[in-house]
Amino acid sequence: MTMNRTKPELKNEIKFRLDNIATYTLSNGLKLFYLRKEKLPMIRLNFVIESGGKFDALASPGTARLTSQTIDEGADGLSALELSDEFDLLGTDFSISADNDFIIFSLQSLTENFCKSIELLSKVILKPDFPGKEFEREKKKLTVSIMQLKDDPEMIAEQIFDKIIFGNHYYGLPVRGYLGSVENINLNDIKNHYQKHFKAENSFIAAAGNIPYEDFFHSAEKYFNTLPSSSEKILLPESIEASDKKVFVYNKPDSVQTEIRIGYLSGRRNLSDYFSKLLLNTIFGGQFNSRLNSNLREKKGFTYGIHSQFIYYKNSGYFSISTSVSSENTFEAVKEILSEIQNLEKGVTKEELEFAQTSLTRKFPLNFENYRQLTSNLSALAIHQLPLSYFNNYLQNLNTVTLYQVNEQAKKLSQADMKIILVGNKNTFENDFKNNGFELMNVNEKGEVL
Amino acid sequence: MSLLNLSYIKTKIKNGLEVIIHQDKSLPLVAVNIWYKAGSANEKPDKTGLAHLFEHMMFQGSENVAKEMHFKYIQEAGGILNGSTSFDRTNYYEKLPSNALETALWLESDRMGFLLKALDESKLENQKSVVVNERLERYDNQPYGLAWELIVKNLFPEGHPYSWPTIGFKKDIESFSLDDVINFFKLYYSPSNATLVIAGDVDIQEAIILVEKYFGEIPSFETPAFPQTENFSLAENLYVEHKDNVQLQRLYLAFPTVKCYQPCDAEYEILSDILSGSKNSRLNKRLVFDEQIAQDVSAFQFAGKYGGMFIIVSTAKPGVKLSELKQKIFEEISLIVSNGITEKEFIKTQNGIKSNFISAMQNIDHIADHLNHYNFYLGEPNSFEFDINRYQSVNPDDVQKIAKDLISKNYLELNIIQKEN
Repeated sequence: MTMNRTKPELKNEIKFRLDNIATYTLSNGLKLFYLRKEKLPMIRLNFVIESGGKFDALASPGTARLTSQTIDEGADGLSALELSDEFDLLGTDFSISADNDFIIFSLQSLTENFCKSIELLSKVILKPDFPGKEFEREKKKLTVSIMQLKDDPEMIAEQIFDKIIFGNHYYGLPVRGYLGSVENINLNDIKNHYQKHFKAENSFIAAAGNIPYEDFFHSAEKYFNTLPSSSEKILLPESIEASDKKVFVYNKPDSVQTEIRIGYLSGRRNLSDYFSKLLLNTIFGGQFNSRLNSNLREKKGFTYGIHSQFIYYKNSGYFSISTSVSSENTFEAVKEILSEIQNLEKGVTKEELEFAQTSLTRKFPLNFENYRQLTSNLSALAIHQLPLSYFNNYLQNLNTVTLYQVNEQAKKLSQADMKIILVGNKNTFENDFKNNGFELMNVNEKGEVL
Repeated sequence: MSLLNLSYIKTKIKNGLEVIIHQDKSLPLVAVNIWYKAGSANEKPDKTGLAHLFEHMMFQGSENVAKEMHFKYIQEAGGILNGSTSFDRTNYYEKLPSNALETALWLESDRMGFLLKALDESKLENQKSVVVNERLERYDNQPYGLAWELIVKNLFPEGHPYSWPTIGFKKDIESFSLDDVINFFKLYYSPSNATLVIAGDVDIQEAIILVEKYFGEIPSFETPAFPQTENFSLAENLYVEHKDNVQLQRLYLAFPTVKCYQPCDAEYEILSDILSGSKNSRLNKRLVFDEQIAQDVSAFQFAGKYGGMFIIVSTAKPGVKLSELKQKIFEEISLIVSNGITEKEFIKTQNGIKSNFISAMQNIDHIADHLNHYNFYLGEPNSFEFDINRYQSVNPDDVQKIAKDLISKNYLELNIIQKEN
């Protein structure tokens, strides 16, 4: 060898600071968050309305999703296809999604077409026609997609996991609904959902683009100051009754792999423990070199990948580990995961923590590269009511977390009431579990114990 | 449009490694992206999946980088990384804060020049098992997951480099020995068979010096000639039926077409957008929106260095026969053949393409990969404008003509139907 091939040292640390976030609240209560991003002639926005699946707990699962699917099927006299053509003619990307908390309208356009695009968006949000014929088609599409769920082991595992973790709490319901529930939803149900929840106080716009913030605020005001306000607060039942059982199995005899989900209810996001949980998860299962992936993929070869995360809804949150393994390795894989969880009782090492802090600190600028990242970061501020200085204080908050704090979280995790969900060919692993003292509860795809 | 006109320098160092550097100081980031000009198309028919398995082995450490440390060093520097294998090539890439460029070059050069001594049986057995699980997770255990390999196997002529899937068949993956892996390296992983792109907040002269420093001593060797293929047609229509654990039946129609960047490639892409690219596209309107006989429909042109095909996929609503979907799909294409497309349809497609080209310039790692892509297929990294002009120079009559070509071809039909319980 002609040269010394040792690891090069990094040159000076990079300093990165996010530009100031501009905010404004319209007279009706609609909140606006904006970041200027100059690289390309583009703008992207998320219009976020707290009208998601959690409110179906008061009506019927699937109502919010079906509302989101029908709302752009005709507005202000334009038919569904005319509306879609208008967006397409501008080359504007427009999509709508519904999750547990929110219905989210996403728009990405060239700056030259922004005014026309936001005007079209305002028609969809403020003047939907909800034609009966289009509603029936979307309803059929949704019921058929629920039928298709049976084919998809990952989706089944997610749906069961939510139900087992959240029980009868509203976050335990699938946003897409159940076959039976969606069939009973009628046009009036979604009109009511719209009337009740599409209110300015429940909404915000998070946007990033290459126009001055004044222009953005001006457009938003022009098109959305008529979104109605309402002072009514809708209260949802908050109690969660967890099952006392541990292992839940959905038998899918045709499977060649088992989908595994392991997790527990870990609570809503708050600044006091967010960073210690983030660091703990980075070490445990959040990146390629995590303890879980190093063991189950790189050492044992059980899986293509294993991952863990803390998920935060607006009002609650959970921790979950997810992977899929070939059927014959199901028990061994679960055993390894449980032993990694057990090991957390001893805490993580100072080296592991420093590595995670260094890695996340240096990676920070990568989170602000594209317009989608920017709008989703702004959305996170709004959803979790974080201070506007959040991203400017991020690195300080990350780096002042102590080993003691992370190990407190590690201990909590090691003692948590972890639920285990298995979707696969039960015959291939049933005996391994029983012989090792586990009781297996059979569940259907809704997560109901049979 | 100057946004799509990128400045760059392209050079070769002494051992033949091609180097392309593009400076972009908008964020303190750098992307490093290497294409090796070997993918699954370079495999032998009874050793499928070797290029992809080899990609996995490239992450298992090299002479100066212990197992798992490759990932660790990139993560420690605040970067992200991955690799991917396709029919035509294998790529490896990192995106990092710009002060860590040297770390990425050190790691990439170590596995380019000093991999073999670090390989061993236990690493190979581990990654064979990981790849078998990848195959199970992404194909065997997915609804309709085997459609792609059934299409390529049946559509492309026997022995054609696209006639087996990149992931490989399970029995082949399980059969690989350390010698197979070493021989693959010795055939294809020469510096002269690779192109290194560096894009981002870098000083061009410094970057070249670093490339010389880390890659300069790696010896080159002669690599095999690329496979030679001709475009082909089918002597007759082919029909394949496959039973799967699915609730809904799905129809696939695959027509042999042209290689990427050949004449007609862009026309086929535009046709696919007219057929299925939007709510009001021809097939979506007819099958999903108006008649509600399909849950979904999509059409696309897939084209690579060695061949191409046009594919239409549609999932039938419960109780609907696949033959009905097929009949109506052909009716819709025939309508384009007889009446052409409207001005409005054409403008929608063109404006969508323009927006997509601009949107694709957001990420520096994407730009780096595209410089490599254009360099590989066209010999000119800065081909963004050339590429968008390919689409913009198509006119509505060309789309009508290509629809006529398509419909006159013999094709492969794949039906995925329910297993009886």
